[in-house]
Amino acid sequence: MRKQALPLPFLLGLGLLAAAAAPSLALPGAPDEGDILIKNGVILTVTKGVIAKGDVLVLGGVIKQVGGDIAAPPGVRVVDAAGRYVLPGLIDSHTHIALAGTNEGSEAITPEADVGAVINADDTSILTALSGGVTMVHTMHGSANPIGGPNVVLKTKWGRPSEELVVKEALPTLKFALGENVKQAGRTVQPGQTQRYPATRMGANAIIRREFEKARNYMERWDRYKKAAAAKNPPRTLVPPRKDLRMEVLAEVLRGERVARVHSYQATETLEFMELAKEFAFKVQCFEHIWEGYKIADELAAAKIGISVFADSWAYKMEAAEGIAYDAGFCAKKGVLVSINSDSGERIRRLFNDAAKTMKYGGLSEEEALRLVTINPAIQLGVDRVVGSLEAGKQGDIAIFNEHPMSAYTRCDMTIIEGRVYFDRDLVVKEREEAAKKAAAPKATGGVS
Amino acid sequence: MKHSPRVSALIALSFITALALAAGPPPGDVGPTYAIRNCRIVPVTGPAVEKGAIVIRDGLIESLGPVDKVKVPDDAEVVEAEGLTAYPGLISAFSNLFLEQPARPEGQGAPFEDFPQAQTQQPQEDRFPPGPGLFVLDQLKPKKTTVENFHKAGFTTVLVAPVRGIFQGQSVVLNLNGEPIRPMVVRNGAALHINFTTERGAYPSSLMGTIAHIRQSFIDAEYYAARQAQYAKDPAGLKRTEYDPRLEALAPFVRDRKPVVFQCNNVEDVKRALKIAAEFKLNALLAGATEAWRAADVLKKTPVPLLIGLDFRPPMTSLYATQGDELRKKAEAEIYPGNAAALAKEGIGFALVSAANGDGAPVLRGVRAAIKAGLPAEAALRALTIQPARYLGLDRSLGSLEPGKVANVVLVKGDIFDEKAQVAKVFADGVLFKYAEVSK
Repeated sequence: MRKQALPLPFLLGLGLLAAAAAPSLALPGAPDEGDILIKNGVILTVTKGVIAKGDVLVLGGVIKQVGGDIAAPPGVRVVDAAGRYVLPGLIDSHTHIALAGTNEGSEAITPEADVGAVINADDTSILTALSGGVTMVHTMHGSANPIGGPNVVLKTKWGRPSEELVVKEALPTLKFALGENVKQAGRTVQPGQTQRYPATRMGANAIIRREFEKARNYMERWDRYKKAAAAKNPPRTLVPPRKDLRMEVLAEVLRGERVARVHSYQATETLEFMELAKEFAFKVQCFEHIWEGYKIADELAAAKIGISVFADSWAYKMEAAEGIAYDAGFCAKKGVLVSINSDSGERIRRLFNDAAKTMKYGGLSEEEALRLVTINPAIQLGVDRVVGSLEAGKQGDIAIFNEHPMSAYTRCDMTIIEGRVYFDRDLVVKEREEAAKKAAAPKATGGVS
Repeated sequence: MKHSPRVSALIALSFITALALAAGPPPGDVGPTYAIRNCRIVPVTGPAVEKGAIVIRDGLIESLGPVDKVKVPDDAEVVEAEGLTAYPGLISAFSNLFLEQPARPEGQGAPFEDFPQAQTQQPQEDRFPPGPGLFVLDQLKPKKTTVENFHKAGFTTVLVAPVRGIFQGQSVVLNLNGEPIRPMVVRNGAALHINFTTERGAYPSSLMGTIAHIRQSFIDAEYYAARQAQYAKDPAGLKRTEYDPRLEALAPFVRDRKPVVFQCNNVEDVKRALKIAAEFKLNALLAGATEAWRAADVLKKTPVPLLIGLDFRPPMTSLYATQGDELRKKAEAEIYPGNAAALAKEGIGFALVSAANGDGAPVLRGVRAAIKAGLPAEAALRALTIQPARYLGLDRSLGSLEPGKVANVVLVKGDIFDEKAQVAKVFADGVLFKYAEVSK
């Protein structure tokens, strides 16, 4: 296999572009108008079939037209994709990139710890993602806590200010976690600290239930107060309850304004959590990793709960021992909404390879496998109206591959977000060669030093 | 060498006088009167005077102007200053002077080993050392050498900020007029200082937890202040709010909008601070902010006083630091020094600060680098005088040379920002400090 590690000069090259722009206020990746026409490629629309030779026109960041023989409007950049594959930008349903910190691990219940507050748009994992055609990521709180924090959906707009990365259309989510990580997160203690509760799976379930009970009480207290305050002559001595950020987030979950994304590995704990969600009537959007998903595929499909999983590499710890490579493919065939995730700032650049593994293990077709990293994660994130396929009206997030993205020989040549090119392999290779040439050049030719 | 008793007595006498001068007059005493003559005067708030005089009486500027227009009082000691330029004493609106532990360089994490170990059973207010109720003044140990080093760089006034924890405590503004601390204090409790750091082994242990903790603390302070106000209005039928020292200390910052300084180590910190400031309508200032130019769009929309540090090392998380040494070095040498210049170009206001520097000379080196990177020297001077005075609400007494203002005057041979500039004499609160004997 070809060594795929991103060489330093690649990153440096883009970085120097950034350097050239400063200290003026222009940022790297400065956007043009977001107009681009991609010509003569094999168009994998994902939702509307395959166009053997077609064009995609993006104007003002939005896909205007997908089809054949689209004429270039004046001034619009044309990219020739003859012999290449044009597909929607890939979406990673579960990562932790572009953040300053992953876990608020000091306590078991931390729904106030919002990763959206600690976005780091300078994380070079964004570049890595772009080089693999990934245009959107669900970047999440870690799995140290039964109830972690709110997550955030970002586009991989390298060089743009953090606020421009945030996908506002996305469904608000909250990270939960079950199993070993939760049990063991409290085990390493500082001197003077006691071991964190919970230390068992039953404890994790119990503490989550306890917090939702608290949140219900909290909501009732506020309801009582609001009712009293809205009365004609509210009593002078009326005192509002204390606002609690922790409870506010759980209240959003209970009101259905925020959905649960739950890290779980085993079938039993997953079923227990589904019972808990039913009891408190909140929405579980997706189970994460869930190696034993194949054991409860019918239950997941019936409950309309998606899963976001690895393609392989199971049995790396006890609770993953019964994982199988067929998990994703099997569940998909059972009608579960499946996505393949990277959970990594490195694997993210070969998400398409991981999706393709479901063809060998699980027998998915090319089209079905591609859905696992495009429209399916888009549905899970609540953004399928705007991304996840190549359709007129959707945002112009596009990847161009030299071979079919599910081929073992493929690579991403170009990554486009809202009509703007954020990764161009030709350009990067050229810059790398120039940097190498510069490094090899004799230091000083003549002159006095 | 042996002196006659008379000579020895004279030496002793002059020594005592020098000591008395350096220590400043006891409070309430009438200080000496000086007339500085024949110097160039740069008042900052007005046009320069080519050949001027300044009369200082009892720690204040009594009068100044062209030398032929200013009457030298009979009781004045004349300070001949031909060939020197008089500037207002420079102000650093953010420093860590006189603190016992060395301040950590910007961009580095908290010195964890200094934190008391977290005890899970500890009461709430002890778990967040040192807390908003700490006054850094109580920890300061002024040193003569530090005062002199700052004088030699032209500084007469500093804000000293605490350095530990998330809610670090409250700062003090000092006029560097000697060694005893009390006569130096211009304003105690000048601002509350917040740092986006974490607590080891205790909540919050992550930046996102820290931000939640800061927000919850201000929510609680607002709640506390509102309950107190409600109770004060009419306590009948109301339960008394339980006294909470932490919230008691925080309340004035949400209720009365006392200044809150956020330490911003990178571009994202700037945005984080602005969000919190907007949420709680805080009177916020951003310190450090060495990547502020990268947030210029946001700062133009939401003007906020910036206390810009002169440490040009890219923050660890910056894209300029994570892509190899070549870019990092280039950034430190060429890009980060341009921060202030870029802000000035965009019309964004700022003060320049000494930050963690324990010595004045590197601060001036930083200023020179900023000027070299395009910051107009005049803007740099304002950013070290009247601008910080305004930000601290002290511009009626400090920040320029005007009659009635505090006599903080620096006499320099050459331009103050010139590499070869030499500070000859410094008046701080009208107390004279002599440094270099400079030839005319």
